[in-house]
Order: sequence, then structure tokens, then C-alpha cells
Amino acid sequence: MKELFPMKQVNGFIFSLLLTVIALSVYFLDMSFSVAMTILLVTAFIQAGVQLILFMHAGESEDKSSIYTTTFYAISIALFTVFGSLLAMIWGYMF
Amino acid sequence: MKIDHSQPLEYSTEQNRLNILGFWIFLGAEIMLFATLFTSYFVYEDRIGSGPSGADIFEITPVLIETIILLTSSFTIGLAVHAMRINRTKAMTVFLGITLLLGAAFLATEIYEFNHYYHVGATLQTSGFTGILLTTLGTHGAHVTLGLFWGTMILMQIKKRGLTPQIANKSFIFSLYWHFLDVVWIFIFSFIYLKGMM
Repeated sequence: MKELFPMKQVNGFIFSLLLTVIALSVYFLDMSFSVAMTILLVTAFIQAGVQLILFMHAGESEDKSSIYTTTFYAISIALFTVFGSLLAMIWGYMF
Repeated sequence: MKIDHSQPLEYSTEQNRLNILGFWIFLGAEIMLFATLFTSYFVYEDRIGSGPSGADIFEITPVLIETIILLTSSFTIGLAVHAMRINRTKAMTVFLGITLLLGAAFLATEIYEFNHYYHVGATLQTSGFTGILLTTLGTHGAHVTLGLFWGTMILMQIKKRGLTPQIANKSFIFSLYWHFLDVVWIFIFSFIYLKGMM
């Protein structure tokens, strides 16, 4: 039975629950918008990293560099799209 | 077909390795798809018109249930892949089965949540905010639904033919898909729900 629950996976799961609890603090505790957003950004990206590297075995095969390149390419397009649009359509205008 | 026994089953042929790489490239496209949905969400977030805002309609309980269910299912599909790698077919099918049950429980909670939104007057047509909210959540939910059918079919194939290199490869690729849906949910949880409720 024990060999079915490797430490790496179990620790990863506990860590991801912990990150969720930390993220939840922005709901239960009173804090400023910028502190809360910082907590959410940090926990969300660490959480995504845990999934990618630990659970999705991104770095295990000989295609490692292609896998990381395509993922980082997609993430940078995602960030440019989100923040570029916010800059052009929200932050640039104050109604 | 050349089978390399020094590799885990899902990587054991050249075709298998390329299938996995190809799926990662597909996931890259999926990241960009969800990025455009998040972009529209952030742009329309405050355009609520005469409809409700996020703080008015979001409920912490179903959201927390969904998050914990999805995190656990991501853990069990990881255990399924691990069991597959140590040739424990029975344990692997049990973990895959648990993952699919958790997926169904997630979907049931989300349907309850959508029903709640409908009853408090937040529909696709209410405002820019509710429109993009339901589109983003719905796209994620549609992915989970597709995953349920996909996973069930893989389970049936394992029952019928056992863990061949091809089926091991399909199972591994399914696990990548499922983990990816969990990642998307983490961002929905943080930047739609928690941000909307704080």
C-alpha cells in the first residue's frame, strides 16, 4: 500500500492545500487591495509551478527543453494579453 | 514497433514520446485560450450595469468545495500515473475511477452554482460582467465535462485490453489534461472568486 503513495506526491498535495489556505486569508482577513493581490499572484503562480513540475513531470523526458519552451512561450503570450489589455483599456482611462 | 523497456510505459515508443510533446503544445494553445477569457473578464469586471456584482452573487462554500475536490482529483490522477509506472494496473484503475468521481462531484457543484446565479438574476444577458463570468466558468466546466467522457473511455480500454504502451500513453496524456484543468481552476479561484469577494 505504501508504495502507492510516494512522498513526493503526498507532499505536493499538502503543499497545494497549504497554498489554498494562504490564498483564502485574503477573504477572511482584512487587508489592503495591493497586499491581497500580491498574496494571490504569488500563491497562484507557485501552485501552477507545483502542478507543472511535480505532477505533470514536465522535466523528465528528453523533450524537456521543448516542453518548457512551449509552456513559457504560452505563458508570456498570456501575460502580455492580460496586462496589455488592462493597460490599454482600464488603467489608461479613469472614468 | 520498437519498445524501449528502460523508459516508463507511456514513453516506451518514439510515437508515445511525440504524442506527449504534441499534447504539451496543445496545452500551450489552451493557456492562450484561457488568457483571452481572463483578459475579457478583467476588462468587463466592473461593467455590471444594473445587474449584480461579484461580491453580490459569489458564495464561498461551493467555491471552496469545488477547489478542494479539484485539488484532490489532481492528486489522485497523479497517484494513478505513479501506480501505472510501477505496473499496478488495478490500483491505477481505482485511482483513475476516484478521479472521475471527483470530477463528477465538481461538475455537480458547479451546476448548483450556475443554478444559483440564474435565480439571483445573473444570466449571460444581464451585464458585461455576468456574460464573461459565465463564459469563463462555462468554458472550464465544458473542459471538465469532456475530461469525464475521455477518462471513462480510457478506463474502459484498460479493462478491455490492459495497460499496453498505447493505453499507458493515453492515460498519461489524460493526466496532463486533468492537471491543466486544475491549474486553470486555481486562477479562476484566485482572480475571479477571491478577488471578487474581498
